[in-house]
Amino acid sequence: MKKNFPFFLVKNSPWPIIMSFNLMNLLISIILWIYLKNIFLFMFMIINIIMIKSLWFRDIIRESTFQGNHTYYIKLMLKFSMIMFIISELFFFISFFWTFFHSSISPSIEINMMWPPKMIKIFNYTEIPLLNTFTLITSGFFITLSHLYFLNNNLSKSIKMLLFTILMGLYFSMIQMIEYKNSYFCINDSIYGSIFFLSTSFHGIHVMIGTFMLMISYIRMYNKHFSLIHHINFELSIWYWHFVDVIWLFLYLFYYTLI
Amino acid sequence: MAWLCSRTVLQTCRRQFFRNAVYSKDKTLPDPLDLATGLEKRELLAAAAGNFDPYHMKAIEIVRDSTKESPNLVPSAFKSRIVGCICEEDTAHVNWMWLHDGHPRRCECGHWFKLTEVAPLG
Repeated sequence: MKKNFPFFLVKNSPWPIIMSFNLMNLLISIILWIYLKNIFLFMFMIINIIMIKSLWFRDIIRESTFQGNHTYYIKLMLKFSMIMFIISELFFFISFFWTFFHSSISPSIEINMMWPPKMIKIFNYTEIPLLNTFTLITSGFFITLSHLYFLNNNLSKSIKMLLFTILMGLYFSMIQMIEYKNSYFCINDSIYGSIFFLSTSFHGIHVMIGTFMLMISYIRMYNKHFSLIHHINFELSIWYWHFVDVIWLFLYLFYYTLI
Repeated sequence: MAWLCSRTVLQTCRRQFFRNAVYSKDKTLPDPLDLATGLEKRELLAAAAGNFDPYHMKAIEIVRDSTKESPNLVPSAFKSRIVGCICEEDTAHVNWMWLHDGHPRRCECGHWFKLTEVAPLG
């Protein structure tokens, strides 16, 4: 068939519908986890989703790198859609911050009209949270360095810097887990525990997704899928990583230090 | 049913492509033109040849005194194309019409248009 337009008409793909089924199952498995204390189904669904996501990414990589369907216009549109996605994510976090400020600026009578609420022992912001902040800022520095080396056509150094970034992302998730395990309050301890764990754990999930995206760019960079004018995956992962970084700065500022 | 579902999945997730088993040991990035393939490569080659509008999507400046014998030529890779004519310079709307192969057509304002065949890119 003759084709004389820059747009890409996608072929049938099974992944969107399978992904939606699995997300529904994931939600149900969270209920099972909370009420029946059975984490097995939840872990199973998480593994399922990671597998489906990987296969979906595989198809997109085949369409872009190996079939050459991502023309200049498509690249432009992908960038715009990523900007839209990041803005929607921003407003997702703004809703959590709104809850936080609503409850903290004028604390209600139920929490003794004080913030943090009575009997809540909060984290010391100069300990693990400060280490987390340093880790994320340093990882942002390394990802910028990786991009700089990439644009200067120095692939081996770029790969090394990207590896440092991924390791720092994993390190962040690890110390965040240690912090959760050592916390003096839990998610059902007043509004403070609820909003604290909701926000920081959603941020943690975003860090994990960002690490996953960076890992995929790492593998693709290692396999030489990127060229100087076509490295959308790497670029959009960097945008996402910086977005996660900025969200953490606000979390650190408002949830840990300024209360 | 399970077989039907799995067959649908397996058939719809196929993507045809070719790749090389040879791995380059270079420490630099691959050349953009070497790496690109398919439509992307054709676009890059057209740009390298100086053609930055390979799909003929940009607006054409029309000749003001066109006749049936010397109409404005509209490039198209297909048998018909929709043409939008901005009749006067300060017109705030576009007059749309279908233009078919081999039949020069006149817009209501008097401009003549004719389809010329160009090779498709993809």
